[in-house]
Amino acid sequence: MKALTANRLSDGDVVFWKSGQWVERFADAELWADDDPDAAEAEAAGRSQPTVVIDAYLIDLVESEGLWAPLSYRERIRALGPTNHLHHGKQAEGGAVVQALQHAHGAARSTGRVNLIKRK
Amino acid sequence: MYEYDSLDRQMLADRSAEFRGQVARRLAGELSEDQFKTLRLMNGLYLQLHAYMLRVAVPYGSMNPAQLRKLAWIARTYDKGYGHFTTRTNIQFHWIKLKDTPDILDELAKVDMHAIQTSGNCIRNTTTDPYAGATAEEIDDPRVWAEAIRQWSTFHPEFSFLPRKFKIAVTGAPKDRTAARVHDIGLVLKRDRAGALGFEVIVGGGMGRTPYIGPTVREFLPANRLVSYLEAILRVYNRHGRRDNIYKARIKILVSALGVEEFGRQVEAEWERIGQDAGEGGADLPDTELARIRAAFAATGFETLPARSEAFETARAGDPAFARFVRNNVKPHKIPGYAIVEVSLKAIGETPGDATAEQMEVVADVAERYGLGDIRVTHEQNLVLPHVKLDDLPVVWAALDAAGLATPNINLVSDIIACPGLDYCALANARAIPIAQHIAETFADPDRAEEVGELKIKISGCINACGHHHVGHIGILGVDKKGEEFYQLTLGGSGAEDASLGTILGPALPYDRVAGAVDTLVEVYLRERKDGERFLDTFRRTGVAPFKEAVYADAH
Repeated sequence: MKALTANRLSDGDVVFWKSGQWVERFADAELWADDDPDAAEAEAAGRSQPTVVIDAYLIDLVESEGLWAPLSYRERIRALGPTNHLHHGKQAEGGAVVQALQHAHGAARSTGRVNLIKRK
Repeated sequence: MYEYDSLDRQMLADRSAEFRGQVARRLAGELSEDQFKTLRLMNGLYLQLHAYMLRVAVPYGSMNPAQLRKLAWIARTYDKGYGHFTTRTNIQFHWIKLKDTPDILDELAKVDMHAIQTSGNCIRNTTTDPYAGATAEEIDDPRVWAEAIRQWSTFHPEFSFLPRKFKIAVTGAPKDRTAARVHDIGLVLKRDRAGALGFEVIVGGGMGRTPYIGPTVREFLPANRLVSYLEAILRVYNRHGRRDNIYKARIKILVSALGVEEFGRQVEAEWERIGQDAGEGGADLPDTELARIRAAFAATGFETLPARSEAFETARAGDPAFARFVRNNVKPHKIPGYAIVEVSLKAIGETPGDATAEQMEVVADVAERYGLGDIRVTHEQNLVLPHVKLDDLPVVWAALDAAGLATPNINLVSDIIACPGLDYCALANARAIPIAQHIAETFADPDRAEEVGELKIKISGCINACGHHHVGHIGILGVDKKGEEFYQLTLGGSGAEDASLGTILGPALPYDRVAGAVDTLVEVYLRERKDGERFLDTFRRTGVAPFKEAVYADAH
């Protein structure tokens, strides 16, 4: 499965794609099967919004506690917040999806990492 | 302390207004992200994992209470109530919004602060000794020279687009608290046999992907020739430094490629040309300007006091906790009746280098009331109150302790440098902060920490080495192994006057084994050490073998 993520231009917040809109919670993100061509279409649409977001890219997901979570550790931290301040970032509101992300295992270099480095 | 004049203030106002326009153009879509990135980086603004990060300059790590209060206000108003002091003696805020940044720069400018020279391929903020003007060890006050470098380097048109960033350190004392030998240029103040003031000039040190201990290019440079000599070094670097490969663009690579003798020869030749071109007036700061800068750092406000304070001695004898703080966090001052106080930003289990807005305000209040209004940032991510009366130490300690700022661990095992790592940084491969927290918790017993003695642990979340792992007595580098966090340990590094690069201990360890491995290393040291040896001394005597054997014992 895949999801589409970016950082919002105005405040840098991590956002996810949902039906043509950007939402703040991973729990609300639109998910696609690996072979679903809609994912690439959404990525192209996201990348065509340079005054809304920076560097939209697709991330790979893994199943965790019956829900989906980003495969790479970096993307889980982006979706949750820093591990040294558990009340900062999106993890602060808690809930089943946040817990699933916190408990998720899986290892991979982030699919978006190259873009992250380029944009620093 | 040095105070900005009308020119400095106009420069900051212009810069802030310019950036406000650039942000508006970016938000309106008139600038692409690629076009804007260079502009935002020239104003210290990065995009990290969760938000923008604004790095604010603390020039040569020196600030006054009004400035620290402003940082606290910014932390509370625009961030999540805290800031992170860095190994470049700056402060960075991790939850900044792009749209707020122009307002933040305006607020900083009200107290003569800014984000200039905190990013980009320019000459960055100069590091100096946090004990400057306070320690009896110093040959001259390094802040005088750091301020001269600031005035010369800020917006210098020739050096605004160098091949890579460029970092300078100045130490006025033989005991190096600036990591001078791992800087692009390290300057060590000294006197020649005739008593004249000058610098040993070290060029081409550095950490990152290719670490070097910098070689000495000139044993003695007359102090008043500093600016022209720096200009000669920068010109040779600007001319020959590699721009085709970011990993080979720092001056350390050029010095290594040319060899220190050839590099030095080219610098001397360029220096001579600069002198000839400058004509009669010379290319250096006039003595009158140096005298003006020096006057700003003159010792004022000190009282004539006896060397011994009965109030201090009574408190030390009566309160073991205060006595422990004095043993570890209080250093001798050059003026009788005064002391240097280290404010620890390394409370056990907290994030190294972080200070809350409330903590910043406590330090500002204490500095104003008891510390002659002087506050320093150390490259080891602590704060220093350089001028505190011995008589006032008990009350200063009580105020700091109540705010969680008096952990008695300076230079001990829990006084750990850690970069923000993968919790915040877009470049990191692994987290650094939780590793530091686990190690500090392992050594939370202050008796054991004191028994271990001086032990500098430095942690970086990637090879860029913002956490100075190469020069840690124990260095820890986060690496990515097939998407998982692993940590490579090095032993025997030092960023001090006895600078050295660490030796790799062995295969990288998984996240949950690092703190235990450090505990094992410490046990080996305690077993092997001879009288008076620090961890570093024991390692240098024994080599890596006993440490490696212990950590990887279960692998056999």
